[in-house]
Amino acid sequence: MGDLFNPTDEHRALREMVRAFTEKEVDPQAEKHDREEAFNLPLFRKLGGLGLLGITVDERFGGSGMDAVAAVIAHEELSAADPGFTLAYLAHAMLFVNNLAVNGNDEQRERFLPRACAGEIVCGMGMSEPNAGTDVLGMGTRARKDGDGYVLDGAKMWITNGAVSETELGDAFLVYAKTGEGSRGLSLFLVEKGTPGFRLGQKIHGKLGMRASTTAELVFEGCRVPAANLVGTEGTAVISMMRNLELERLTLAAMSLGMARRAIEVMNRYGSERKAFGQPIREFGQVARHIAESWAEFQAGRAYVYRVAGELDLGTAGNRVDSDGVKLYCSTMAKHVCDRAIQVLGGYGYVAEYQVERLWRDAKLIEIGGGTNEAHQKNMARDLGRVDRIR
Amino acid sequence: MKILVAFKRVIDPDARIKLTADKTAVDTESVEYKANPFCENALEEALRLKEEHDGEVVLVSLGGEDITQTIRAGLAMGADRAVRVEIEDKALDSDLAARIFAAVYKEEEDVDLFIFGKQAVDGDNNQVGQLTAQYLGLPQACFASEVEVDEDAGEATVTREVDGGLETLAVKLPAVITADLRLNTPRYAKLPDIMKARKKEIEELDLDDLEIEDTALKIEVVSLEEPPKRKGGEIVGSVDALVEKLKNEARAL
Ligand SMILES: Cc1cc2nc3c(=O)[nH]c(=O)nc-3n(C[C@H](O)[C@H](O)[C@H](O)COP(=O)(O)OP(=O)(O)OC[C@H]3O[C@@H](n4cnc5c(N)ncnc54)[C@H](O)[C@@H]3O)c2cc1C
Repeated sequence: MGDLFNPTDEHRALREMVRAFTEKEVDPQAEKHDREEAFNLPLFRKLGGLGLLGITVDERFGGSGMDAVAAVIAHEELSAADPGFTLAYLAHAMLFVNNLAVNGNDEQRERFLPRACAGEIVCGMGMSEPNAGTDVLGMGTRARKDGDGYVLDGAKMWITNGAVSETELGDAFLVYAKTGEGSRGLSLFLVEKGTPGFRLGQKIHGKLGMRASTTAELVFEGCRVPAANLVGTEGTAVISMMRNLELERLTLAAMSLGMARRAIEVMNRYGSERKAFGQPIREFGQVARHIAESWAEFQAGRAYVYRVAGELDLGTAGNRVDSDGVKLYCSTMAKHVCDRAIQVLGGYGYVAEYQVERLWRDAKLIEIGGGTNEAHQKNMARDLGRVDRIR
Repeated sequence: MKILVAFKRVIDPDARIKLTADKTAVDTESVEYKANPFCENALEEALRLKEEHDGEVVLVSLGGEDITQTIRAGLAMGADRAVRVEIEDKALDSDLAARIFAAVYKEEEDVDLFIFGKQAVDGDNNQVGQLTAQYLGLPQACFASEVEVDEDAGEATVTREVDGGLETLAVKLPAVITADLRLNTPRYAKLPDIMKARKKEIEELDLDDLEIEDTALKIEVVSLEEPPKRKGGEIVGSVDALVEKLKNEARAL
């Protein structure tokens, strides 16, 4: 029956399906797409066929109707093989698809979700800008009401899935823009490729990790969208953002789990196979420490993530302490675990063949994307100011 | 068309296994289970035939309550419903399994095809499909690598892999077919289908329901042994030395 990591038979079946798919189809292509800094679009579309792109979305709109735990399982499993590809999955399935499913209206859901769940379109979300990241409300992109629509001006930076190739935009985006001042001045818009005034600024090259996902700058110059593309009501997007950020951070933490898990498997195996001074290296105390500490930290992070996932209601905000907390802990945990894996493998850890150097590069991103660790610390310390006793 | 598919749960063939202390079985403490890969080929073929000809695909599994998860995996791949016959693994051999499958076949009525995996990767016996065909007096086509059904002619054309080549058989329906790995590539269960599988019916029968009284086993496992530990490799100096060793030490030539 169910356990913390697979609360129902469906969760377990999901994990088995994604794991089998990952071993057969995701693992073999990962190294090449990292090296070539290329997004694997055909593989991405296959996720649609499996029902993974609309994992949290109602069946009415082409989704699979599952919960936050299911989303965590999918991200953990995929990320063990290819975090870069998984980041593209996350940006589409969590930041666009789930975001619209939760915050949009039925007309908008019908217009976008069936195609997005099937993988016919590749989507993303634009919050960060060249001059404003952590300081979201300091964003410069503005949307001005004009007749029966809005006109957007500004630029978004670091947008995952912003491009599907070197020159081509992704298909549709949820874009945050200012319609007023302060926390009640933020609104959310749907912007599609092909809208006049919307173009690809640049595809960003030379990323340390997550190279199998594209990252791009999106530019809006007098970009006119109909009022039907306003998601929610004008000025209420901070709430929408908060709701979606919780799931984003939780699934980013799940990605860290996948990376740590794989790194531990690699170093654990290597520790038995590699001999030095006549014995397997795992018998040296310093190597044993790398393996044992990694295991304990991974298990702690895993329990934390699944506990929080089990309690996360996709429709509400209010879990910020722990959705920040799981990412704060697991991002650095995975980075350390991958680092130890390289150390245990010595020279072999430093080259692509054993995967851990790639995981190490990918793991670093989780300390930055979806909120920096400093932002999590700031949020958590502020929210915890209201906590007296720990239940 | 109505197609029965024998669907067996096996210990994960990629996992490291241990023997029980008395060396008559594999220690099932903390092992992982999976559907037998050949059974997945059998199910995949049934699903493709159903897509082409319409009809129903019914899984038949033998085992305790704990195999339900494997059955659900088969239902998530697309089978319509399942029959589980309650019996302990220990209480089975290939012959009794075949007699149970034959009894289920009779219960089900109007079956056109009964598809098995050519063998289960745990015992590797490669007997159950053949025995079932015998008990039912049905034609059999084993180790299929290609199957085509002509419903009007009431016939299946089966290409089978035999030593040194391929053989093509035409069998009258109803018939028994056993699936080889090259028959097809089993599909992944889609997530919405995993959710739907929860609501599909698993009928539970026991040996009394099937009126099977003779439960004596014809085969007794006397003992199992682990394969000998691999000895270290050796680099030989010349082709002649290699041939000599292959002949006299490895006895491979
Ligand atoms: C590969 C990748 C993919 C991304 N994908 C997306 C995406 O799809 N959509 C999207 O909108 N964004 C995306 N981002 C952007 C990401 O969310 C931001 O990079 C992140 O929020 C940090 O913003 P910044 O880079 O502007 O850094 P800044 O906010 O400028 O931070 C710089 C440094 O200052 C620190 N700092 C800032 N403010 C404070 C403070 N108040 N207290 C203490 N320290 C502070 C930060 O922690 C950091 O160390 C992506 C980024 C990357 C690298």
